[in-house]
This record gives sequence, structure tokens and C-alpha cells, in this order.
Amino acid sequence: MPRASIPRERLAAALGKNLSDSELRDLLWTTKAEFDGSDGGSLTIEATADRLDLLTEAGLALALAPKVGGTHGLPPIVPGFWDGPSPVFEVDDSVAPLRPAIAGVIVQAPADRPLDAALLDEAIRFQELLHATYGADRRRASLGVYPTDRFQFPVRYRLRPIAGTRFVPLDGTTEVDVAAFLREHPLGLRYGPLGISGGQLLVLEDADGVVLSLPPTLNSRTAGEARPGDRSLLIESTGMTDARVRETVGLLSLVFVANGWRVVPVGTRRPDSADDGHGVVAARPLPLTLATLDAISGRRYTVSEGEHLLAEARLGAHPVAGGFSVEVPPWRPDLLSEVDVAEDVVLARGVRSEEGVVPPSATRGRRRPETVFRRRFADLLLGLGYAELYTPLLVSREVDTLLAPTGAIAVANPVSDLFSHVRNRLLPSFLTSLAHNVRHSYPQRMFEVGPVVVVDPTSETGGRTLYRAGAVFAGERAGFADGAALLDYLSGAVAAVGVREPVEIPGTIPGRAARLRLAGESIGEVAELHPSVLSALRIPVPVAWAELDVSALWPLARRAPEAPM
Amino acid sequence: MAPDSEEPEEAAPALSLSLAGPERGVLAALRAAGPIPVEEGALPAATGLSLEAVRGALQRLRSKGLAVVEEEHREELQLTDRGTAARQNGLPERRLVRALADRAGPMEPKDLVAIGLVDEERSAALGILRRRGFLAPGVPFRLADAHPDPATPFPEEDALDRVAAGDGALDEAVVKELRRRGLLSVERRSEKRWQPSDEGRRAVLLDDAQLLGSVTPAMLRDGTWTSAEFRQYDVRATVPYVTGARPHRYSAWLREFEEILLGLGFEQSEGPLLETEFWNSDVLFMPQDHPARSIHDVLSVVGVSGRLPPTELLERVAAVHEGDPLPGETEPISPGWRAPYDRSVARRLVLRSQTTSVSARYLAAGPKPPFRMFSLDRNFRVEAVDATHHIDFTQCEGILGGAGTSLRDLVGMFQSLADAIGIRELRIRPSYFPFTEPSVEGYVKHPRLGWIEVFPGGMFRPEVLRPLRVEVPVAAWGIGVMRLAMVALGVSDIRDLFQDDLERLGGGSG
Repeated sequence: MPRASIPRERLAAALGKNLSDSELRDLLWTTKAEFDGSDGGSLTIEATADRLDLLTEAGLALALAPKVGGTHGLPPIVPGFWDGPSPVFEVDDSVAPLRPAIAGVIVQAPADRPLDAALLDEAIRFQELLHATYGADRRRASLGVYPTDRFQFPVRYRLRPIAGTRFVPLDGTTEVDVAAFLREHPLGLRYGPLGISGGQLLVLEDADGVVLSLPPTLNSRTAGEARPGDRSLLIESTGMTDARVRETVGLLSLVFVANGWRVVPVGTRRPDSADDGHGVVAARPLPLTLATLDAISGRRYTVSEGEHLLAEARLGAHPVAGGFSVEVPPWRPDLLSEVDVAEDVVLARGVRSEEGVVPPSATRGRRRPETVFRRRFADLLLGLGYAELYTPLLVSREVDTLLAPTGAIAVANPVSDLFSHVRNRLLPSFLTSLAHNVRHSYPQRMFEVGPVVVVDPTSETGGRTLYRAGAVFAGERAGFADGAALLDYLSGAVAAVGVREPVEIPGTIPGRAARLRLAGESIGEVAELHPSVLSALRIPVPVAWAELDVSALWPLARRAPEAPM
Repeated sequence: MAPDSEEPEEAAPALSLSLAGPERGVLAALRAAGPIPVEEGALPAATGLSLEAVRGALQRLRSKGLAVVEEEHREELQLTDRGTAARQNGLPERRLVRALADRAGPMEPKDLVAIGLVDEERSAALGILRRRGFLAPGVPFRLADAHPDPATPFPEEDALDRVAAGDGALDEAVVKELRRRGLLSVERRSEKRWQPSDEGRRAVLLDDAQLLGSVTPAMLRDGTWTSAEFRQYDVRATVPYVTGARPHRYSAWLREFEEILLGLGFEQSEGPLLETEFWNSDVLFMPQDHPARSIHDVLSVVGVSGRLPPTELLERVAAVHEGDPLPGETEPISPGWRAPYDRSVARRLVLRSQTTSVSARYLAAGPKPPFRMFSLDRNFRVEAVDATHHIDFTQCEGILGGAGTSLRDLVGMFQSLADAIGIRELRIRPSYFPFTEPSVEGYVKHPRLGWIEVFPGGMFRPEVLRPLRVEVPVAAWGIGVMRLAMVALGVSDIRDLFQDDLERLGGGSG
């Protein structure tokens, strides 16, 4: 889960109450945030991926306030006043292939409380968290914050030649050549490629051509450095989709709106369209019917109860016929539809384990007949004194190479060479286990009834999951006949009498490998393992191996009238 | 009960014992020594048995309560090889002082080599002789003008002799110094002294030679058993370990868990382990750019390609992702993920990362409500294998659907499952999964581990159900059962659930 450090003092100030660690842990139990420890003045808070708003002092205080006797309901989103040139982004078509979306809002401080260092710190922390999570490391969305008194609208968003472009990086003091910045600065190296196309790069520049930032890499210090004392800030996000950048701006606006800042929409003008930007930080309506709420929760809610719980969830609620019209703030992009709002109501009330009902069962529990069939072979092998194994489906590159060519599907992104291939026989797993047991005495007998995956181009998934019942017998006197006898015994136990025919199986002794065939289907394999394989794994005795393809046998055995089921 | 009605305590009657030869001989030797405990090492001579046989017999007598042992631990000083050599050839300081006295003149450093003193002996000898006033300062080395009598034994020499003679009266400081110089060592010895127990003293030893041992085919043929008695065995004695096959404890536990679900009316389902992203994620309304779908979380494969699902289903799923109305409808279910749905992603293959895909396939097949389905099976994730994580993990997926199914049913099901695994306390807290709303997590209170997350679940979203044409609400949960199994089986390392060591599996070898 995403996590953040929250200054305890700021949370206490926002709540009007200092909470102990245990109080905080208890209060957060019914929210999607979780107390994960504290260190002096800092609290570590985790939140589920849909509730990043809880990872700020502002968002956490909003969620906790109703639980400690504080405020309820949707905090007001108050419009500000703007008397300068029309606040708008002029978007050039050139950005479309690279990073087409942009959205923004101006936030204005209350008259008596300009930006202070603590609020700036909170905003920067949340901005970085959003970059890493919601912005997918800035690929889908990135944010910038700019004091509006240091540039002039309209702000242009366009591609501009790298050559000849200069700016003062946010962490620098002198103007630098952008080409050098992209080559040398850590942020330029990491994020620069996201904003470059050919010899051009994305820039935000003001009406006078002053560079505000190089999205999504870094702001300029000239026009893009917010400082304590600032009273009016532009929050801007660029990214891949309109929805994502609008939501990203909405999330960051929480930090300011919850602290009493006002909002001024910033429009977007493109050659063929325009948007006034009002939707970016306005509350949006979602319906919630009592019928939906009751159906999901399994209990009946009254209008007043629903209204109260919506207020506890910090949503606006207006009763309408049959339910509510709910006002959803811009920092709650997780609320997509009615069921999401219903969840907020249910969680605000708390999900109580004692209210669970054990529904009477109108169904009959049953295993799949095929799994019952498979288990028969495990019982037979246990009866023969074979030890049961439960091994991973993925096998090592070493064993796959020893048995090559196996035809096993390779993992594209293996975690290690120990789990690099998807087994298509149980044999590689047996070899691994035999190698693990060389320090024990012989003979050794082991079996597994488990899945394998084979390539099948005719399948929707490119392969088929099959179940095999296999065994190995390792001992001084082990040989092909032991494996063949075992295979005959297993198939015979379900009245499936097949015919052995010679076959070549890599890793086995030529002339000592067979396929068991029944009704034209291959239902099993048996062989004596080749000494080259055994010696490579330091297995000191001969090994007989047999595997029955239970998935292939199942339909045949089902058809056979004498098959004991 | 009145005191006068109590029966007087009687001595237990003496047992008649038939003991195997070595036990009989050893017990007889212990009894012969009367009240004096016999040192273990003395018994071979007294019985004619090897020390090993004596020890085995003593242990068996002890386990039968016929002999008792007292054990004494002590430390004993021993000459090391160097100590023995020093005692024979003289300590380095003795050899040096002797050489100086014999020479009656100074010695150069090279002369010390000539008298056979190696490096560490030279420095030790020079240091000791200087401290004790034998040597004059400086080089070359010579005896001091007023040096002690070289003929007087050094205390170290006296200590070495005493240790060799087994005399324990030693100066601790001297012993410490000799141990530091590697001339003495401490051996820790334990001495066991045995004597018969009361029962061992009183028991009547039967004449073993007249008793029958194993039943033999010959004995049965000729009937000799009719005229003799069988020797009684010690039925408490240790017997050979029987090796045999057993079900693997983890797969056995999984089947037990299946029984719980079968008992709750769930039918079993399975799905492919190699799965398309469509079934693994898209149909579950997981956004195509969801972090949990990245190559950092999901294992993909090479060399095989998947196919798209039936077009009609694909388009319905694409519509909910993009926030469009379902084909034939006018209103979208929700804004969806506000991003284009990439159909090429839908056919990509992964190793199944959640059994929820089995639920999706089950629902797509159009089960008749009410229904309850479970799938207890393998899944895979990009994970470095350690004590708590494995690349191959088991999940138990369950769904229940029908008219009126709600979150309360889900919570009730959590309670039933918790009850079934012997846990009474359950708490629910919010959670998040892209395919359920509400999403919750059931915590249970384990007596040892405290509150642990066990039951993640929720109500399937309309964006999951409607494209699959499911018209009833469906509650779903997916339990990471490996954690439960570890608790139940007392395993602290998840890798032990894949245990393949025959000795630890308890059978199959031999």
C-alpha cells in the first residue's frame, strides 16, 4: 500500500486534537488508511491505492474529524476572484502524439494566511507521492505548481526546439542550456525522454515566452518556484489522458481547499476545441438510491441515517426521491458510480462482524469429478509406499537444459533461474527432488499428482493445463521395468489398458523409453533416466520414471463401462 | 474415610524377569557390588562384554527402571603434546638458563637458535628469565651478576610433574600461565556410576536359556513351543522406525480445507494456469495500466500467444473499461477508467496471478442462481522466494451469488470459515480491490499471532457482472491460504510447504 509520513503537529492542528498512537490506530481501523508507526513528530500512514487523499494532513484530518467530534460534510470549494488576463492554457497540436493532456486550477490563499512553509511542504510531499503512484512515475501524469505573480497568462503548452532553449532549473541559480540539462541533470536523464520528440521538447511558457517548466521533468526557478508568502498559485498537470490530469489536479487541490484557499478555474484552448476548466475542481454529482444501499449492505437505511453517514464520509448529500444526490469532491476520483458511494456509506457506519448472516445453503457442495479421479492415483501410489510431493509448477533452467529439448514454456521475466520454465511434465520436478535427497538412503520412491502446462496453439490461452500422476523409483535395482510395471498398475487400476510403444524422450536411455497409448491417445510415458542426467545431478543410483496423463485418461476412463469410479 | 479403615502399605512383590543376555549379565554385576555404585568403565571386565554392549544394556536397564545412574562431571588437567615435550626436554627457559650457565659467557641471538629454541620459545624464555632476575639487561645475553640458583626447579616444572603424576594440588596462577602457553589443557570428564534400583535388586532373574525367543516355522512344525515358556519382551522398549508413505502434509491440508467449503455448499471449479490478460484482469475491471498488472508483479511467458475471447464479450468488457454503454444500452455503468481499452493487451499471456479469473470464467458460463463456487489452486507472481513469499502461491477463491446476496452474507461466510478453522474472533475493515465494491478485509484473532488479515473480499462491481450477463449480486473472496496453512501446520517458512526432503516427509525411503 502507498504510504506517507505525516507531521503529527500538523494533523493535530487540523483536527484541533492531538491523538495518541493507539487512538489513531483505532480510529483509522474503519477507514482505508492504516497507522503504521510513529517516529518522534512523524506518523507513518498507509492507505489503499484508491484513497491517496488520506496520505496528506488535510485528507486525513477530513476523514478523522467526524470521529473526534469535529466537522462533517463536504468542505466548501469556494470560488476565487481573478482580474488578470484570462487564465487559460493554449495547447498546441504538436504535443498531441507525446503528452496531449493538460489541466489546471489557480488556488488563492485566505487574506490572513498566505502560503507558509508547512503547507508548501505538505503540497510538495503530496505532489511527489502523486507522481510516484497516480502519475505512474510521471508517465501518466505529472504536476507543477507556480506562483501566478511571476508569469503572464495565457500559458502556452507546446513542443519547442531543444537547441536554443534555455532556463533556470528549479534547483539551480543560473540559466542553462536545456540540451545540457537533459544530458546531465539527474531529473533530465530520468524524465527528460518523456517530454522529447525528435529535436524538440515539451515546454510550458507564459505569454512573454518565459519558460515555466519542462513537463514532466522540472519547473524553472524563474517562474516555477513557490515560496512562503505566495498568495496565488497555479496547479498544473500534464499527462496522457484528460481524465487522469484533471483527477491529479483535483487531488493536489485538496491540500489547499481544506486549508481555506479559493479556486479559480483555468481553461484550455486548442485549435479545434475549448474547455473553461470549471469541471476540474468542482464537486460532481452522483446518485445513490436507498435501494442500492440496502441491497449492497443487506440492511435497511433511513434517509436521515444515509445523510448523516454521507456527511461523515465528507461527501455532500441532498435527499431526493428514493435516495440522494451526492456531491463528490475532485479529490475523490475513486468514486466512479453509485456502488462506490454506497461503499463510503457502509464504511462510515462500519462493517460489523456480528451483523454477518450465514446464508442457508441452497446448493450442494461437490468436488469436480475429475479431481476425484485424479486423487485415486495419489491413493494408489501411497498404497505402494511412494512419498507424496507438492512441488512448484516452475522448474529451473538447469533441469530444463539437462532434459532439452523439453518444449517447456519459458517465463519471460523469471525472478531467478530456479523458476525459469513452466513444466510440461512432472519429470523435471522429480529430478529436482531427487537431487535434494541424495544424502538419504536408497531406494527412494516419490510421486506427485499435479498440473503441467503444454503448448497448444489451438487453445485460447496458447496452452493447456493438464494433470499428471507421476512417480520415480530410485535405487540400485531400479530400471525400465519398474516404471513400466507402475504405469501398467496405475492405468489398469482404472481399467485403462494401454499399449506401450517405443519413443524417444530426452534425458532417458534410448531404447528404454515408451509411450502408453490407448484409443489413439497418449496417456502416459515411462523411461529409465539417462546416466548423463543422473550424474549431472549427483544422483548415485538408476532411476525409473513413469507418468500418467490423467487429463487425457479422464474422458477415456469415463467412457469405459468397467472403469471403477 | 476413617484412618482405621486404611489398608497398611505393602511392599511391592518382587518381579520375575527374563532379560536378554547382556542386560542379565550387567544387572548381575551391579547386584554383586552390593550397595557400592559401579563405575561404568569397570563393567566390561566384570561382565566380559564390550563397553558398547555394556552401555546399551545399562540404558535398557535404566529405561526398564532396573538400574539407576549417578553422573559426576569434573575437569581434569592434561599435558598437551607440547607440555609432554617440555617435560622431557626441558622448558625453554630451563634450556636457556642451562646453556648460559654451561657457556659461562654471553650468547648472541643466533646462539639461541643453535640451542634449538624456536621464535616463540625464545621470546618466552627471555621474558621469564629477565623477570626472574636471571638475565642481565641488553644483548648479548648473559647471566646477571646476582642471579638465583639455576639448579632450583621452576614452579612450572613442578606443576608439569604434578599434572603428569595426577596430583591435583597446583598453583592456579601457574596453571593459568601454562594453559596460556599451550602446555596444559583441561579435559572435561564425566563419570557414570551405576547401581541396581530397588526393583532391580529384588527382581528374580529367570533362567533365560530355558525360555523361547521368536516364534519360528520349525517351532510351529515340531510343536516344541508346547513344552516351554516364551521369554517376555519389554513392551516399552524402543523398536525399529517404520518408514512408510504419507500424503504430503500441505496437499493433505488443502484437501481438508476443501472439505470445509464442500460442507458450506460450494462446488469446486478450476481454470487454466496459463491465462490471457483478458481473463486474468480485464474482465475483472482491472485497469490495463494497473500497477499489479506490470511485469514487476505478473509472470509472462515467451513463445506462445493467446487469442481474444468471443467478440461479443470482448466488446462488452471494452465498453465498461472505456466508460461507454454496453452494446445495445444507452447509459454507461460508470465512467470506467477514462482511457482507451487496448484489445492487444487482452490476448497477452500470463501465468495466472489470481484465482478470481476462475470465478470470471465460471460466471461467464452462466451458472443458474443461487450458486456457490470455490477454486483452491495455484497462482503465480513475481516474487523473490524467501521465508514468507513464494512465486507459486495458493489462493482459495469463493463466490456466492443469488437474489439478495449482500455484504452481510459475505461477512457471515467469513464467520463460518473462521469457525471452521477454529477461530472465533473476527473483525472487518475496509480494503480495496478493483473488482469489488465494497471491498473489505476480514481479520481473525490468532491465539499466538494476534490479529491477522485472512479474508479479503467484497461484492463484485457491476462493471464485472454486467458484461458477463450476471443479473444477481455476487459476493467474492480470495484467501491467501498459505498463511493459514503455515499457522495450522506450525510452519514458519513458506518454503516448507513445498517440502521434498524424504526424511522430513516421513516415508518413501527404504
